[in-house]
Amino acid sequence: MSAVAAKPQAGGAMNPAAMAVGVVMLIILVGIGYAISPGLGLTALIGIIIGGVLIGFGTHFVPVGGAPAAMGQAPGIATGVAMLAAGAGLAGLFGGAWAAEQGLVVATVTGGVGGGLLMAITCMMVNFVYVFGMGIPSASGKVAKDPITGDTQAEFKSQGTEGHGLPFISFVGGVIGGFLGGAGGTLIYVQLLELYEASLPAMMGLPPAQVVPIAVAAAGMFAVGLFLVNAVLTAYNITGTIEGPHDPKFKRWPRAIVASAVASAMCGLVAILIVVPM
Amino acid sequence: MSVKVEVIEGGTPHNTILITGLLGTLVCLYLTYLNVLTNTEMFAFFGGLAAIIALIWGSHTIKVLCSYGIGTGVPSAGMIAFGSGVIAMLFATRFGILAPIVALVLAAVIGFILGYISNNILNMKIPAMVQALTEMAAVGALSLMGFAALITGGFTFEGLTTGTVSMLGMTISSNQISFIGGGLIAVAFLLGAIAIQHPFNATLGPGWKQDRMLMLTAECGFLSMIVAAVMSFALISAGSAILSLIIAIAGWAYTYNQYIDLSKRDAAAWLDAKPIPDTEGH
Repeated sequence: MSAVAAKPQAGGAMNPAAMAVGVVMLIILVGIGYAISPGLGLTALIGIIIGGVLIGFGTHFVPVGGAPAAMGQAPGIATGVAMLAAGAGLAGLFGGAWAAEQGLVVATVTGGVGGGLLMAITCMMVNFVYVFGMGIPSASGKVAKDPITGDTQAEFKSQGTEGHGLPFISFVGGVIGGFLGGAGGTLIYVQLLELYEASLPAMMGLPPAQVVPIAVAAAGMFAVGLFLVNAVLTAYNITGTIEGPHDPKFKRWPRAIVASAVASAMCGLVAILIVVPM
Repeated sequence: MSVKVEVIEGGTPHNTILITGLLGTLVCLYLTYLNVLTNTEMFAFFGGLAAIIALIWGSHTIKVLCSYGIGTGVPSAGMIAFGSGVIAMLFATRFGILAPIVALVLAAVIGFILGYISNNILNMKIPAMVQALTEMAAVGALSLMGFAALITGGFTFEGLTTGTVSMLGMTISSNQISFIGGGLIAVAFLLGAIAIQHPFNATLGPGWKQDRMLMLTAECGFLSMIVAAVMSFALISAGSAILSLIIAIAGWAYTYNQYIDLSKRDAAAWLDAKPIPDTEGH
C-alpha cells in the first residue's frame, strides 16, 4: 500500500441482512457437521468455532499502529494486525501444544498465557524503544483520560499526531488480546488433535502410536491456517489500525464475531472431513 | 465507497494472467504424475514449476486487490491466501489423481465465502474482493500442492504421510519421515507465503511496472524452490533432488539477472557502488 492510499470508508455500520445470512450459513455448516459426524466431529467443530471467535474477538484488543506508529505519529505497535495476531496466536499455540496431554482446560489456559506473555513482552519493549529510543511519551489520541489509570492524555500528545507510544490501556488491551488469541488457537489445535488421534489409525490402518506425528502436524497446520484466516478477517474489520479496547473502532466487534464464526465453521468442517470415511 | 488508487496501465490484462496461470499450474501438477506412470521420481521438479506459475498469478491478484487501499498491508493478503489454501489442499490430497482439481474447486469455494464475509458482513465493499480472495485461496492451495509434489514426488495423502527410513541396511516405512508427519509442510507454507506477498510489497508505488513485479515473483519463487529442493533430498532419490536443485538454481540466476536489468531500466539513475572498496594501489 502506498502512503497516499485512501483508506476504505467501511465505517462502523452493520449490515443486518448480511449478518443474518452469516448466521444462517453458520447453522447450515454446523448442521452438515452433525450429519457427517454426530459425535466427535461435532464436538471438534464447536470447539473450532469457539476458538475462531476467541481469535477474532481478541484481535480487537491488540494495539496495532502500522506505519504511522513507526514514525511516532499514532499509538500502538508498529506493524500490521495480521502479523501481531499471528505472532501472539502462534506463540500461544506452541505454548499450549506442550500441555496438550494435560487436558483441554490446562492446555487452553497455557496457550492463553503464552500468547499474553508474548504480547506483554512486545508491548514493554515497544514502549522502551518509544520512550528511550525515540524520546516520545505515551499518549492516546482517542480518549481524554486513560480509562484505567485516569491519567490525562492531551498535554502529552504532540500537535498534528493522533497520539503516540503505548498508553497503559493499550498495554492492558494487548495482553488481553494475546491471551484470547493464544487460548483460541490452542483450543482449535487440541480439538483437532483429539479428533485425528482417534480417527486416523482406523482410516490409515496403522497402530495409534505411528499416526501421532501426522495427527500433530495436520492439527497444527489446520490451526495455523484457521488462525491466519481469522486474524486477516479481523484486520479487514478494523481496517488497519486500532488503539485498544478504548478505541471507537472496538465497537465493530459483533461483525467480527459473525465473520469469524462462519469462516471457522467452514474451514473446520473441511478439517473434519479429512478423517470422515468416504 | 473505496477509492482505487492505482490503475493497471499497459501490460497483460489480469484475466489473461489468471487463465494462463491456472492452466499452467494444473498442467505442471499433472506432469508430476509421470512419476507414477514411469515409476521414477525424476519429474518432481514440475511441482516446483507449478508452484512458481501459481505464485506469479497470485502476486498479480494481490496487486489487483491491494490497488484498493484495504488498509491492512499487503502481507495480510498472502497470509489469508495460504491460510485458506492449506485447508483445501490437505483435504484434497485424499482424492488421489483428482487432487489438484478438488483443491482448486474447494479452495475457490472457501475463498468465495471468505470474500462474501469480508465484503458484506465486514462491510469492506471492495469490488475486486470476492474474485481476488477466490483466486488467492486457489493459488495458496495449488502452490502448496506444487511444493508437496516437488518434495515428495507426488500429491496423494498416502505419499505425503508415509516415507521410508534406512536403518542398518534395512528399509522400513515410517510416518515421521514424511511431508506432513515431518512438519515439512510448515516450511513449504511459509516459503510460499513469503514468495507471494513480497513482490507487490516491494515494487508498489508510482513507478510500478507489471513485468518487473512478475519477474520478482518468479525470482522469489525459484528462491523458495531452491530451499524446497534441498528439503526433497530427505524424501526422494538423490538424482531427482539434484535435478530439481539444478533447475531451481538456474531459474533463480536467470530471473535474478533479469530482475536487476528491469530495475536498472526503471530506475531514474544507477550508480554501481561497490560494497567493499578496492584496496589495490595502496
